Amino acid sequence: MEKATVVIIGGGATGVGILRDLSMRGVDTLLVEKGDLVNGASSRYHGLLHSGGRYAVKDGEAARECIIENQILRKIGKSCVETTGGMFVRLDIDDPAYEEAWVKGCAASGIEAVPITREEAFRLEPLLTRKVQSAYLVPDAAIDGFRMSWQNVESAKRYGGRCLTYWEVLSIEQANGAVNGVKIRNTVTGAEENIECEIVINAAGGWAGKVAALAGLQVGVQPDKGTLLAFNQRITNHVVNRLHKSSDGDIFVPHGSITILGTSSMSIPDPEDTSTSRAEVENLLAIGEKTFEHLRDYRLLRAFAGSRPLYIPPGGESGRGASRGFAIVDHEEEGLKGMFTIVGGKFTTYRLMAEKMADQVCAKLGNTEKCRTAEEPLVPEVSEETKKAARQYFPAYGTNLAAARLGPERFARVVKRLQDEPEKRELVCECENVTLAEFEEIAQEDTCYYINDIRRRTRVGMGTCQGNFCALRSAGLFAKYGKHEGAAETLTRMKEFLQGRWKGVRPVLLGRTLRETEMTRALYELSFHVNGGKKE
Amino acid sequence: MSEVTKKIEEMEAALFTADHCLSCTSCMSSCPVMEAEKKYLGPKMVGPAHRRMQFSQDDIEECLDFCSNCKSCERACPSGVAVSTLNMLQRAKYYETHAHSHCDDMLAHGERMAKRVRMLPGGPAIANLGMRIGKAMGVFGALGMAGERSIPPYAPKSFLQLFKDIRQPRSEKKVVFFPGCFINDNDPQVGVAFVKVMNANGYEVLVDEEFNCCGSPLVFMGYLAEAHEHADNNVAHIMKWQAQGIPVVACCASCSLMLKQEYHELFDDSKMQAAGRNVYDAFEFLEILAEKDELNTDFQPVEEKLLYHVPCHLKSQGLGVPAARILAHVPGIAVEQADAGCCGMSGNYGFKGDKYAISMKIGEKLFNRIKDADSDEVICDCGTCRLQIQHGTQAKTCHPVQILAKAYGL
Repeated sequence: MEKATVVIIGGGATGVGILRDLSMRGVDTLLVEKGDLVNGASSRYHGLLHSGGRYAVKDGEAARECIIENQILRKIGKSCVETTGGMFVRLDIDDPAYEEAWVKGCAASGIEAVPITREEAFRLEPLLTRKVQSAYLVPDAAIDGFRMSWQNVESAKRYGGRCLTYWEVLSIEQANGAVNGVKIRNTVTGAEENIECEIVINAAGGWAGKVAALAGLQVGVQPDKGTLLAFNQRITNHVVNRLHKSSDGDIFVPHGSITILGTSSMSIPDPEDTSTSRAEVENLLAIGEKTFEHLRDYRLLRAFAGSRPLYIPPGGESGRGASRGFAIVDHEEEGLKGMFTIVGGKFTTYRLMAEKMADQVCAKLGNTEKCRTAEEPLVPEVSEETKKAARQYFPAYGTNLAAARLGPERFARVVKRLQDEPEKRELVCECENVTLAEFEEIAQEDTCYYINDIRRRTRVGMGTCQGNFCALRSAGLFAKYGKHEGAAETLTRMKEFLQGRWKGVRPVLLGRTLRETEMTRALYELSFHVNGGKKE
Repeated sequence: MSEVTKKIEEMEAALFTADHCLSCTSCMSSCPVMEAEKKYLGPKMVGPAHRRMQFSQDDIEECLDFCSNCKSCERACPSGVAVSTLNMLQRAKYYETHAHSHCDDMLAHGERMAKRVRMLPGGPAIANLGMRIGKAMGVFGALGMAGERSIPPYAPKSFLQLFKDIRQPRSEKKVVFFPGCFINDNDPQVGVAFVKVMNANGYEVLVDEEFNCCGSPLVFMGYLAEAHEHADNNVAHIMKWQAQGIPVVACCASCSLMLKQEYHELFDDSKMQAAGRNVYDAFEFLEILAEKDELNTDFQPVEEKLLYHVPCHLKSQGLGVPAARILAHVPGIAVEQADAGCCGMSGNYGFKGDKYAISMKIGEKLFNRIKDADSDEVICDCGTCRLQIQHGTQAKTCHPVQILAKAYGL
């Protein structure tokens, strides 16, 4: 039987943050995640590193936390953060009184909000509506949730931390009023294992209520669905926020090659529900086009949704009224020693949440090590010289992106492969510039069971054509390089990959997106007969 | 973006069309350069694809250098992406921070050179002699040009010089002729034929010495700012004529394409779009006359078998083949279309030393077609295509307007 001092349930930002923090303090920690890392709210969001401006009026505490964490993450996660800067714009329809309160709120929370002229705003963001009345620059940024989380795990591994993906927790074992282990099952193979431990941390986000129930406990978590839209190109240079009382569809985040618009807020019963509807898309576009009037002329890639795990203390409010703050529950008070739940919060403050959680766990374990997650970078950076030298083997505009995705060790291996085997310079994903060499590097990793696992780390299939050209190539290559048996089931792997793309495309079947989809259908259904073709 | 109040659909400015790309690969399967040179990744992989990626680092796709701007990709695109124009914009961006070669400078500035040559008495003859010696000594090759080619000689008198001696009947109906560099300096007889043909149709032809080079070679070589100056100047004069109700007509497909549509695509200026509506390719204009039943069809028989190579830049205007349709009215003429793709010259592309082999490889299909066709003459509305055909086949070539002049007995 495997052993660990602490088992963390849930591989979202909170879970991986705790894994890193505890591992750095020398606590033997194992994280168990039922799917791939960050498949919940930690990747299904804007990719926004808040300056805190969003909370400056309503929640000064959250705003202060954001600006502090914002500065920390820029420092420790350089390759995850794109320092786009942010802009708050008040339109003619927005309340000027809110602007006043907001300016005061920012000052009080230590957020630098620099007023700029309308002309300057239009120069920086040429597509903005001319109905903008006033504009401010704030230190918002874009952040890659996938990468941030993977790098937390990698950092933790250097300190002995362990992480199991595609393992779900079946039960939380207890004896004499204390947890003493968890029983887990591999969701791919069905294999079962027991893990002995002293402490269990329930960091399952939207699923925290279900995990608590495994231990016979109750935790009030309201999954609150937010729907977002991804546009094919960068429409903005900055993160652009409406300067009004926080509402749906009022934030645009330029993110890599795309722009994300969101979000909405809707209480749902099941955190697994990541469906999106045409009505939600329409709602977001109708609000978004107030800020960017010609929004509908830009091509949509897909819609996606995630659930914020809002913590509802007994008698508390849900939806936008609920706090975006976080809560730590020590279940010892309810009679189960060694069991914690951490819930709520937001991506920007994941590190702080992890620190608070780890502090409590360490206190319990008698560990007096201090938190060091705010000082040490997540991963070493690829040096500028290395990137410069590697440029000759990479597709144009691809070197920096690949270096940021891969980190120094993998990057070095990919460069070597590109150098020694020029045929591996071929692009697997033309839209997102992913080479065969990079695909091979990631596909070989133990944690890749599905093409989607490779997608999340390479961006294969996330660009303009949404898998149209790379699905076929990926399936073949995964069969060649994948470590797990299932990789050889090419048709199944390809179809589930395409279905994943289709799920997000379906609600935005408008204009050019519709044309693209028709081409996908023609290719796979009519030319390749992936569904078996016509039966005689 | 100058005006946000316009809808993107209305803005045909090239930059905004990248978002239309479905990545469908139609452009790649119709790109003549890709077929001849495997190092070229292909049209969609440069302009449209990198429009999404340019944020990520200061970089350049080196294979962009292979694009000949023949525009086959744009014609093939089912989604209206200005593929090669995007490529040209990207090339221009590259040259904002990189130096041009001497060869680029010479090829882009043919107009400047011709003006200097014509300032000297006997200049053209001296220059032609110099170019012949230069070619024999391998000077052009050493400069990075295609040493295999002859530089087209200067005509003893330019079209504008010859024009002064042409006596035309006065008419209320007028057109302004835009000769362009090649017709003016190298092949003025095309212009002369055009004047005769228009006179035969009751039009008086005017010229405007304020026009300068359309800018096509500048755009292709990456001198976009200079091309923009040319565009501003030419557009101002086109609009001056437009205000008087006088259309501007060109006999060079690359010039007419530039004036009609590329200015606007490149520079996103609604004035340029409006000016473009006052510009016609010669046979486009004649066909409009024919549709109105105003074309003089008093033709003499011309017993010639002609092979017609339709230039890429005429195809890009979406006119079909007006020259073939007009010439079909001439008794005795048999016009057959070559239908053999791009000739490979693409303006100055084939004059570049490192592109010569590609250019000739692209042209092979057309050369073979011409050799097999057994025609009296090859007709084509583009001067540099005609040079390529002469170089690749030794066939006799002319502009279709010269055949038409013959049919009018002029």
